[in-house]
This record gives sequence, structure tokens and C-alpha cells, in this order.
Amino acid sequence: MKLSQLVFKSMLKNMRHYYLYFFALIFSVTLFFSFVTLQYNESVIEATKASGTAASGFEAASYMLYFIVLFFVLYANHLFIKRRSKEIGLYQLVGMTKGLVTRLIAFENILLFIGAVSIGIILGFLSSRLFAMILLKLLKFEAVVALSISKVAVVNTLSVFGILLAILLVQMAFMVHRTTLLSLFNASKQADERVKRFSVFPMIMGAIGLALIVYGYYKSTVLFSGQTKNLFLSMMIILATTIGGTYFVFRYSIAFILNLFRLRKKGHLNLTDVLALTPIMHRMKGNAKSLTLITVITAVSLAITTLSYISYYSAGSTAENSVPADYIMVDGRGESFIEALEQEGITFKEDKFRLTSAQFDMTETFSGEIVDLLQGKTLADALIIPLSDYHQLDPDLQLSKGEAIIAGYNGFQANILPIEAPHDFTLLHQEHQFPLKVKDVNDTSIIAWHITGGGFVFIVEDTLFDQLQQLNEEYAIGYTVHEQTSINLLDADDETYRLTEKLYKQLGANIISDAEGVSELNKISSLRSEVESNLNLYGTTIFTTAFLGLAFLLATGSILYFKQMSEADEEMESYKVLRKIGFTQDELTRGIMMKQLFNFGVPLLIGLLHSYFAVKSGWFLFGTEMTTPLLVTMALYIVMYIIFAALTINYYRKIIKQAL
Amino acid sequence: MSILIARKVRKTYGKRSLAQEVLKGIDLEVEKGEFVGIMGASGSGKTTLLNVLCSIDRVTDGFVEINGQKLQGMKERTLAKFRRDELGFIFQDYNLLDTLTVKENILLPLSLSSIPKAAAEQRLQELVTILGITDILTKYPNEISGGQKQRTSAARALISNPSLVFADEPTGALDSKAATALLDNLAKINKAKNATIMMVTHDAVAASFCSRVLFLKDGQIYTELYKGDKSRNEFFQQILNTQSVLGGEQSEA
Repeated sequence: MKLSQLVFKSMLKNMRHYYLYFFALIFSVTLFFSFVTLQYNESVIEATKASGTAASGFEAASYMLYFIVLFFVLYANHLFIKRRSKEIGLYQLVGMTKGLVTRLIAFENILLFIGAVSIGIILGFLSSRLFAMILLKLLKFEAVVALSISKVAVVNTLSVFGILLAILLVQMAFMVHRTTLLSLFNASKQADERVKRFSVFPMIMGAIGLALIVYGYYKSTVLFSGQTKNLFLSMMIILATTIGGTYFVFRYSIAFILNLFRLRKKGHLNLTDVLALTPIMHRMKGNAKSLTLITVITAVSLAITTLSYISYYSAGSTAENSVPADYIMVDGRGESFIEALEQEGITFKEDKFRLTSAQFDMTETFSGEIVDLLQGKTLADALIIPLSDYHQLDPDLQLSKGEAIIAGYNGFQANILPIEAPHDFTLLHQEHQFPLKVKDVNDTSIIAWHITGGGFVFIVEDTLFDQLQQLNEEYAIGYTVHEQTSINLLDADDETYRLTEKLYKQLGANIISDAEGVSELNKISSLRSEVESNLNLYGTTIFTTAFLGLAFLLATGSILYFKQMSEADEEMESYKVLRKIGFTQDELTRGIMMKQLFNFGVPLLIGLLHSYFAVKSGWFLFGTEMTTPLLVTMALYIVMYIIFAALTINYYRKIIKQAL
Repeated sequence: MSILIARKVRKTYGKRSLAQEVLKGIDLEVEKGEFVGIMGASGSGKTTLLNVLCSIDRVTDGFVEINGQKLQGMKERTLAKFRRDELGFIFQDYNLLDTLTVKENILLPLSLSSIPKAAAEQRLQELVTILGITDILTKYPNEISGGQKQRTSAARALISNPSLVFADEPTGALDSKAATALLDNLAKINKAKNATIMMVTHDAVAASFCSRVLFLKDGQIYTELYKGDKSRNEFFQQILNTQSVLGGEQSEA
């Protein structure tokens, strides 16, 4: 029999072992190819042109994707060779040299790769259309996606997987050469050493693990607050404690807790304990590393996906925070625009806000640690609106003398330095002092971000406003803008908005200062174009991160699944015994379900917790709404994990059925 | 009273043209409290017979009745429950779960039953005292010797007070000392608890502990020997003689 015949024969006979590896490969190629195809697609390039970072974002994402694929395939290959250790040993036993065995397996691998890459490219081509449609939908870009096979994408994919194949062959050759005949036969038996007694040491380590995680979580909640001196160092500490803690939990705590539970039963275990609890306990040592990795990857990808989803989800409200009305004009530059609107018969609501400035001392409001960071410059500019102008927005607000409210305190600053009402301020203008009692703080923006620079505004009663205005006429401090005009269109359709947008720009109503030179910075966007540019930017981001998140998720899910497959194979003997003794398949399956609940549930649960704290620590840097994006992303992850768990249980069911 | 009745049991493996009849119509009755040995050369069908009698495998023809219940026609699920409640098993390679301690292994068959803990504990103590494994209850299987493993396995087979215990070459993997100790224990339990045991073996010494030995040849019962009042040694000689007759015929054929 020739070598090639042997290869074909053994591949046909071993289909069961191969299909796992084969699907892992196909899946990787599909994902990679569709992503690269997308990158070179005309309509996608067109749609993402507006955001300058899309192209480099895609490129960075494709590198990430390549690493995910690389590690995933290496891992799958490793498991695959381990599962076939007996076969490899047998070849050597009948007298094949290691070189020949290596060539044999290399030949198989090359065949598998050719098959997987061809199938993957076809599937990837088909799925890239779907992905392109999703992307354009996210960007609110209306176009029919025409897909053609991109030569660059094919060459790219082929070369990338060619390199991967080379790496795999090296890995495989290394594994075959390193092992002796004896160890090959024992490879799948190594786990037998796993049954060990439990002592005090793991108890302490387990407790330390839990403590580390709790400490990391605590640190993360105060990450962006006055307590943090060195942001980078704090982040490193959080990462180290949570990841280290996760490992300790998997390595020690879980086995320890389960052991306590088991000891309490004094030998009278029920079937679930036998099928789920004891195998998990004894496998924890070997599985701790991979479970930690899976948990961390899950947490990271979940957090990143959630954060970019928060950005995307908040695109509208973030835009509203920086441009609080449809069109905003400054210091009367919009008169011709307003006339033009009237001529066109467009109905709108016009609100005018007079503005003046004062200063206040931040030491009055914020804690000492923040003030230390200011290095002595404790005076901040305050922007002030008279109550009568504010009545255009809220006619019910009443302020008596010395009272004020704060509006538009939102975003990053509001989250790390919250101001609790009521609160006493002192407005300053040179030597003048005006004590103020702030009785309410809200987060609704009134004045454009271009004017406030991200700060809040005081609304004060008119006499105080007039007084300050007077003072500023004599000696101007703080802000240079004196009036903002907000235009909100009424019952406008898309066509009207388009026309208005054109007028807005043509008539120079969008200019905020007469300074020469930095022309783009001197212009303000309309709310609509702000939303659009946000959507464009975050749409690309959410797409790439979600794509990577999907890749991570599928990779980790598959790894858990693969691990469980080999665990199931190893435990077949136990199922045989149990069935002989008289346990039914259903009873065994129920026990296995508990085991899978644990196997998938615990990494998922810890991953969810990690990502929850990660997101919570800094979500306000990314958007204005946390709960919905977080819940949606988590729900998606949970569903995917349930699918993997179901697949695993199905595999176990087959093994149990075959056992007798 | 007959615990086990088998009538015209046939078992065929393989498809029509390649069919191979392993059991060719076996009639058998086992009384309560008997310790029955099944002997025969390899390929004579002893393990197949044991498997169909204990419901792990199905007969092609004929029927098996244990404790008045007919196995044929029972559903998979009912069969499993039947095995759990009525039968005990001892296997050649012990078949202990290596993630469970000795005690947990022994109590395994009770894990789905409603027997109260105290009663289970009492049964356990009684068995482990007879079998002499009281000291190793908290150990894991990889920490004890082969003989201890097999005694653990025996305790597990007996914990649910089964109507019938099946033992498939229980001494196959043991040295002669451990084997004798185990068989002594089985004989003791057979007497003390009036337990019915059916044991497949190819070892004449092991068979000599039984009260009756069946000889299987080519899928049929060739002959059977009763121990009666004979000493174990005399019975052993008798078994050896029968074996040599059987073997002699075989080599002529």
C-alpha cells in the first residue's frame, strides 16, 4: 500500500476525529475571508470613506483576527494530534520511522487544509455579503451590496493560511518527534494522575483567589475617581488581580468548595454528584489554565463589544450633548439663515440664550485629591444663562435671589466628579463675590459643546445675570461668546432637513468665531450631521469589534466543546459501568447536563462579572447609556454559550448511548 | 424457588449470511442461595451467556426470567431499573470509578434509590466488615491493591441486596492469594446472606468454591457438577477431570 492510499484510508476511517478539526478550519477560513473581502468591497469602501479611521481600523482588526485564528487552529491541532496519539504510536510500533509518520500526517494536514480553505473561501464569499449588509445597515448607508470575488482577498487569505499551515506542520512535527513510543500510548492516560487528595493549601489559595478578584473589582469601581493617582498603574493592578484571581479560583477555590460539599455528604452521593461534581473536581487542575484563558478572553471581548455598542447606541444622545439643537448659531451670525428659512416657509422654533461669564473656586466643590492635580490653578470659568432665557425651555422653573441650577452636567466629568444638589457655590468676578445655592443639577445640554468646552452652565435669576454682564463689559473674563441661538425645525421631513443643511452652511450660520486659519474648528455641525458622523465612526467600530467578538466567542466556545469531546471520550468507561449497574441513559444525561451547566456556566458567569466591572468602570467615556447595550451584548453571549452547551450535551448523549 | 429461569436461549451475532450462533438453546435454572459457576473454553459462549442472562445483551430467541419477571419485552429504561434493583455485578477489571472514593463507589447503586442514609450506612458496614475493607473506605481506587479493588467491587454489587449477583471472571486480574481471599468472601456472603451468585470463570480453583458448576461447550451446556457434600479439594479434582475431558474432545475435533 502506498503512502497516499494509507492516508486516504485512515482519513476515511477517522472521519469522526477529523470533522471537529475540519470544521474548526473551515470556520476560521470563512471568517477571515469574508472579513478581508469586506475590506476590499467597493460599497463598503464608499460607505466608510467619511470616517478617516475605518481603513486602519479594518486593517488592525484583520491582524487581530489573524491572531485569533492562529491560536485557535494551533489549539485545535494540538488536541487533534493528542486524540490520535494511539494511532501515531501504532504506526511507529509496526515499524514506520518518525520521519515517515510525520510525512503521513503532514500529507493529511495539507489535504485537510486544501479542502477547508476552498470550502471556507466559498462560504466566506457568501457570508461576506451578509456582513456587508449588516455593516451598511449600521452606518445607515443605503446601497445595494454588489459583491465580486476580490483577487486581493483571495491572495491574502491563501498566503495567510499558507503561513498558518507551515506553522502547524512545524508544531505537528515537533509533537511527533518529541514523544517516545511509550508516552504516545499513555498520552490520553495522563489524566489518571489527576485523582489527588485535598489539603489545607488549596483552601488558602482558593480564599486568596476570591479576595484578589474582589479587590480588583473594588479597584475598578474607583478607577476614575479622585482616589486614583496613577491611572496606568491602577489598570495594571486591576488586570493582574482579576486574572490572577480567576486562575486561583479555577485552580483551587472551585475544587475546594466542591470538596466541602462532597465531604458533607459522607459518601452518599447522588448521581449528579457522581457525574458532574467529582469529575469536575478532579479535572480542575488540568483545566484551570485553559478555563482562565477562556474566561479572560470572554470578558475582554464582551467588554470591548459592549463599549463599542455603548458608543454606537449613544451616537444620537452624544450628538445631542454636543449639539443640543438642530442648528446652532452664535452671536447673531444666523440672521440671514433665519430669513432664508422664513422665505422657504420652513417652520421652526427659535430660542435665544444670552451668556455671560464668572469664575468659581473648584476647591469649594471637589475633593482634595482632584485639587492636588490642578497644581494651584483652582479657578474655573463658569458660563451663565439668565432665568428668563431658560424659561424658553422650562417655563416652570422659579429661582429666588441667590438660587441657581446647573444644567448640562453630563458625560465623563459628571461621572467622575458628581455634584450633589443642594450645593453652595461662590461666583467670583475679580474682587466681587456672589454666593449661590444650587438647588438642582441636571444633565440636559443647552449650550453647544463648541462653546462650553464640555463644562456645565449655571442658570441664575436675571438681576444677578445683569450684574455680571455689567461687570464683564468693564472687564471681560472667561467665555467670549455672548449669545447662542438654537433653531429646532418643526414637522420637517428629510427633504427640508437637506435644504436647511445647505442654507446653514452656505450662509455661514455655522461659524462660531471670526478667527482666521483653523477654519474647520470654527464651524459647528448641525445635529443631523453630528449624528451621522457619530454613526459612521461608531458603526465601523461596533462592526469590527462585534466581528472580532464573534470570532473570539466562536473560538472559545469551540475550545470548550473540543475539550468536552475528549473528556467525554475519556469517561466513556465510567458511563459503561454506570449503565451496566443499571442507570438509564436519561439519568446519565441529566447528570451530564449539570456538568455542562458548570463547564460553560462558570467561565461565562465569571466572564460576565469581569466584563460588567470593566464596563462599569469606564463606560461613560464611550457614551451615555450603559444598561441596554450591556444587557443586549450579554444576552447574545449567553445564547451562544447555550448553543455550545447544547452541542456538547448532544455529543455526550451519543457517547452514553454507545457506552453499553 | 428458582431465582433465574432461562429457556431455549439462543444468541446469534452478525447478519444472515455471516451469522454465527454463539448460544444454541440453553436451558437453565438457578435456585435461591446457589453459588453457580459457569466454565468453558474461550469461545464457548460463557460471557455471552452471562450478558444475556443479566440483561446487558438481548437474546435472539427464547427467554430469561429473573425473580418471576421476564426480561424479554421490557423496555430499555425498565431493564436499567431492573438491573439496578435486582442485580449486582462484579467485573474482571473492577470497573470502579476512579474519581470516587471506595465508600462512594460502594454506595453508587443506591444513589438514585430512596433507601435512608442510616440504613445504607448499616448495610455498608456489614458488607465491608465481611469483606475486610473497613480501613480503606476514604481511599481512591488508585491508592489500593487489585484485591481490595475487587472486594470493593463485590461490596458495590451486594449493597442493594440484589436477587442475583453476576460475576464475570472476578479473579481474572488477581494473584492467587487475593483471588482465594475474594472467593472465600463471596462464599461467606453466599452462606451468611443467602445471596445467589452466578460466576463465569475459566479457573478451576475459583469454580471449586461454587455449589454447582456448569460446563459450556460450543454454545450448549455440556454437563454440570454438584459439589454436594464433597470437600473443596475433591470438587476441584472433579472439575479438573471434567475440564480435561472437555479439552480432550476439543483437540480431537
